[in-house]
Amino acid sequence: MLGKLLKYDLKWNYKPLLVFYGLAILFSLMARGLSEIENSLLFTIIGQICYAVSIAMMINIIINNLMRCWARMVRNVYKDESYLTHTLPVRKKDIFSAKVLAGIITMFTSILVIFICLFISYYSPENMNGLKLALTTMSSTIGMQTSLFVAIFIGIVFLEFVFMLISGYLGIILGHRSNNQKVIKSIIFGFLAFMVMSITSVLILFIMALFNQEIMNLFNTVAEPSADTLRFLIYGGSTLYIIYIIIYYFLGNKLLKKGINVD
Amino acid sequence: MELLECKQLSKEFDQKQILKNINLKIPRGKIIGLLGKNGAGKTTLIKLINDLLVPTSGEVLIHGEKPNVNSKKIISYLPERTYLDKSMTISQVFDYFEDFYDNFDRKKAEQLLNDLKLQLTTRISKMSKGMQEKLQLILVMSREAELYILDEPLGGVDPATRDYILDTILSNFKEGSSVIISTHLISDIERILDEVIFMNEGQIVLTSSADELRNKEKASIDEIFRRCFKC
Repeated sequence: MLGKLLKYDLKWNYKPLLVFYGLAILFSLMARGLSEIENSLLFTIIGQICYAVSIAMMINIIINNLMRCWARMVRNVYKDESYLTHTLPVRKKDIFSAKVLAGIITMFTSILVIFICLFISYYSPENMNGLKLALTTMSSTIGMQTSLFVAIFIGIVFLEFVFMLISGYLGIILGHRSNNQKVIKSIIFGFLAFMVMSITSVLILFIMALFNQEIMNLFNTVAEPSADTLRFLIYGGSTLYIIYIIIYYFLGNKLLKKGINVD
Repeated sequence: MELLECKQLSKEFDQKQILKNINLKIPRGKIIGLLGKNGAGKTTLIKLINDLLVPTSGEVLIHGEKPNVNSKKIISYLPERTYLDKSMTISQVFDYFEDFYDNFDRKKAEQLLNDLKLQLTTRISKMSKGMQEKLQLILVMSREAELYILDEPLGGVDPATRDYILDTILSNFKEGSSVIISTHLISDIERILDEVIFMNEGQIVLTSSADELRNKEKASIDEIFRRCFKC
């Protein structure tokens, strides 16, 4: 049943997202095409506008992705549609898992589309060389292979958004446990869920700093950290994100399993 | 084992008691009227049976088990509000029901839809609220369930539509199954009821066979209800 729930959640999430994907790619192509035309003030201006719109579309994709997933959760689990959702012969765990998976999948494709748009808009041999140089410098500072550094960087961006997504889901579940002002409480709880873990990360880092002078230097000096410390931060940060996402997933599941009170 | 049993069931909202110690047994093969004034607790009881609310105390048992995946397979529930995704077409809604309910009879649903002269390609958002409610009734009655729970199916509809709704219920529920109809429009459904449950202020005040009650009180259920709940 999880597969069937996921199918319907993905369909719902992708409906407007596909339009935004198309628009973002279209404006990137237009911006790129117009920038190739030389000696025309008019086309240069239109090209710049297209660049601005494509950037706006990319930001819009991420915001819309998050909002769409949260809206689906509220409508499907707590509002009118919940009368059907909760009377389907499916486990509550599957309902929540489908929402989380749909969010993760759409987030992955959204980030992919953003990278495609950036590539279309800004690809040139000079830009690529500049980017390669920057990435090589950064990765060699940390003592990592460039490809691994890029993969980890993209992974962290992805995990950050997934963590935001699941914090929002948890906020919605907590907010809807009360009998009034559910929307406001959902937003507050979602924000708190995000902040609590962010502060926890800093606390964990500080505790580790008590036993490691190099990490402590991050708190009380402005000196550049060593390659080892940077590597530790990157790997540790990624691991923490994964742990937080898993914790929030199980917490959300546990709370939903206790039952809901629909409006 | 009873089809449905409520034991000492209570529900509170913000320290206000909506249901108080409900004890109830629903047998098989009966049409039961859950009757009460507005705010008597009928919808809350139905929501508890359907796992849409968490009881404050007590329990709901379906085939001896708390509401779970198996109980949802055998209960077909019509809520008092429209619950369909408005962006779907009727055909997509049928697909959805077919995907999740093994006992959904698509042919029967299409036949009933044909009677309403609706097209499968019609989008829910393009349908009037009344039509959406009729579609939901078709969906609910096209399942071969053991228990049909219909919450205010006659609320806010014209007499002709009431007849359509009652005919659809009577001619489509699975033989041997039970039907709970919650309403305060008693005169319209009185003729089809086997049993009645009167609710008032969150409590069950009377449970009886419809015929026995009529014979005992020498009056129609509607009259008895009016006498019972006179303001």
